[in-house]
Amino acid sequence: MSRTGAFSERFRNAWVEMRENFGRSTLQALGVMLGVASVLGGFSISDSQRKRSDEAWMKLGGMDKLNVQPAAAVTDSQPSALQMANLGLRSNDATGGEELDSKSVQGVSVQKNARARVISPSADQERALTGIGGDYLPLNGYEIEKGRGFAAEDIAKASPVAILGFEAASVFFPTGEAVGQTMRVGSTPVTVIGVLKEKVFRFRNSQGNRFAWRNRIVALPSTLVSTRMQGDAYRRLDRVVFRIPDLNVMQKFTTGLTQLLKSNHRGQADFRIDDIGARIRKRRSQGDVYNVIFMLSGVLSLIGGGMVNVNIQMATLKERVREVGVKMAIGASGREVFKEFMTEALLITGFGSFVGLFLGIAFSKVITAAIGIPLFMKADSFVWATGLAVAFGFVFALFPAFKASRLSPMEALRYE
Amino acid sequence: MSHIIETRQLTKVFGSNGTAVHALRGIDLTVERGEFVALVGPSGSGKSTLMAIIGCLDSPTGGTYALDGHAVEKLSGTALAHIRNEKLGFIFQSYNLLPKASILRNVELPLLYAGVGRKERRVRAMELLEKVGIPDKANVLPAALSGGQRQRVAVARALANRPALLLADEPTGALDSKSGAEVLELFKELHQQGNTIVLVTHDAGIAALAQRRVELRDGNIVLDHGTTSTPPSTPPSAPDPHLQQAAA
Repeated sequence: MSRTGAFSERFRNAWVEMRENFGRSTLQALGVMLGVASVLGGFSISDSQRKRSDEAWMKLGGMDKLNVQPAAAVTDSQPSALQMANLGLRSNDATGGEELDSKSVQGVSVQKNARARVISPSADQERALTGIGGDYLPLNGYEIEKGRGFAAEDIAKASPVAILGFEAASVFFPTGEAVGQTMRVGSTPVTVIGVLKEKVFRFRNSQGNRFAWRNRIVALPSTLVSTRMQGDAYRRLDRVVFRIPDLNVMQKFTTGLTQLLKSNHRGQADFRIDDIGARIRKRRSQGDVYNVIFMLSGVLSLIGGGMVNVNIQMATLKERVREVGVKMAIGASGREVFKEFMTEALLITGFGSFVGLFLGIAFSKVITAAIGIPLFMKADSFVWATGLAVAFGFVFALFPAFKASRLSPMEALRYE
Repeated sequence: MSHIIETRQLTKVFGSNGTAVHALRGIDLTVERGEFVALVGPSGSGKSTLMAIIGCLDSPTGGTYALDGHAVEKLSGTALAHIRNEKLGFIFQSYNLLPKASILRNVELPLLYAGVGRKERRVRAMELLEKVGIPDKANVLPAALSGGQRQRVAVARALANRPALLLADEPTGALDSKSGAEVLELFKELHQQGNTIVLVTHDAGIAALAQRRVELRDGNIVLDHGTTSTPPSTPPSAPDPHLQQAAA
């Protein structure tokens, strides 16, 4: 083949044919172009959206977290004595959980919520308080901007210290340095030892800061909240979070943790364990539906384009019967004619896909710019778009090429 | 024993039972290597059908046909394409050049189908164009040539694979008398160089150039004049009015 250059000759003929019939070829390529653009554009837009949402999760401290929260063990009727005696989620649940698999657990955070009046020289507001412990700050994507975080000692001793979010710092100490200042939380005077960096995330450029609420945090040692703000001698917690980067371990860990907590809680299932990763994977699989829809719309336009191509090719074949006859008379076999027609159709498909890819990029750029998210394109999408176009181009080229190859040479020569 | 064409009881029927048309009714024709045969006859005589079968463009309904020693009546489409490529050169009334390909590429085409390499193709095509006297037109499109020049290109293309048989169907039918005469001169030259030629025409003047004249009527050979081989094995069974008319 390559020796005689038969392929390059066919290719060259196909090129001449395409150039000579520019209008018709463009029309044929149009269906392919739109199909490719629609698959690529659809995939890219859905990938961009998904990436943006993953970024949001990463900013929240990652997706590899296992949440444990207290839940009502009592469903209806009066609580039993056992249920009444239950203490709920406590710090030994957190430490016990970590000991279950200290290698896989990369961080534990505990949280105790409260509300209290917060008074500084500049402001006096009713605020949500977050009692934190363990790796709360890194697990939630917070970073210290000024000052320091809580030391183990602060937690252990329930020291009267506080860390303020960006917004909280600017509300309570608008005139300057917050670190080192004192404020009153409920009836307890606390010293501000740190200020957190501002957290900003806009899903789309035009939208407001989705994380504005996170800048409102007033963080205190969890022990301080449970002892001083709520007067809870049992130091109950509202949330324990384990970070487990290895997703394969998550399932096993969950089972172990469930058993541990049950035995800690006197056999009561008064807690809820939920795997954020699983929740996200579920959301992602909903995203797959969009991919299927985009692919379907692309495939439909490729089928539409393909059918138009079959029609055009059949009409063209009528014009070219004589040419086929001549080629057959001088020795082209049906197979050779078939190959020539296939080459032409595939060249048009290739040309259409090539332009379609650029069209798809442009299309994705315009749409993502319009909704204000950064564009993210995967190599997979290009492969899918081109692959589908070539597959459909091939299938739809078969029939006209077959028809041409089956012409009788004598009838073809006499055709007027 | 170098028969180029040897047919026995060749028949061709178009259509079926009720509407069947018997285009050929048992043709026995033998053409030796180096002969120049004119195939004549009025329209509807079956000469085009015979031409198509001799040219392996169509298959006979019955009888046998050997081309250059190969029995071809039962061959498949692909095998026939191969035979056409290797053994036959066609020259048509309307030239049938590919309009979008240069002269050189037109002449190269049969070589391409024969699997000849690119370089050799080019060299041989140029030689052929020189042979027919238009080497300077290699890179132009057919539309830029006169009718006579186009027919020369067609001759060059027909000669490309050094065929055993040249088949010409009214080669001068579309030409003015001067270019027609030039093309016929070319045919004479080709014959002198040893090519076997079968030429279909209804022009008695052109037929006279040929060394042998075979006349068809109603699907039968009614006259075989100047033959070097056997006369028609089946003479017309009844006195043929057309024959008498032709003789008169």
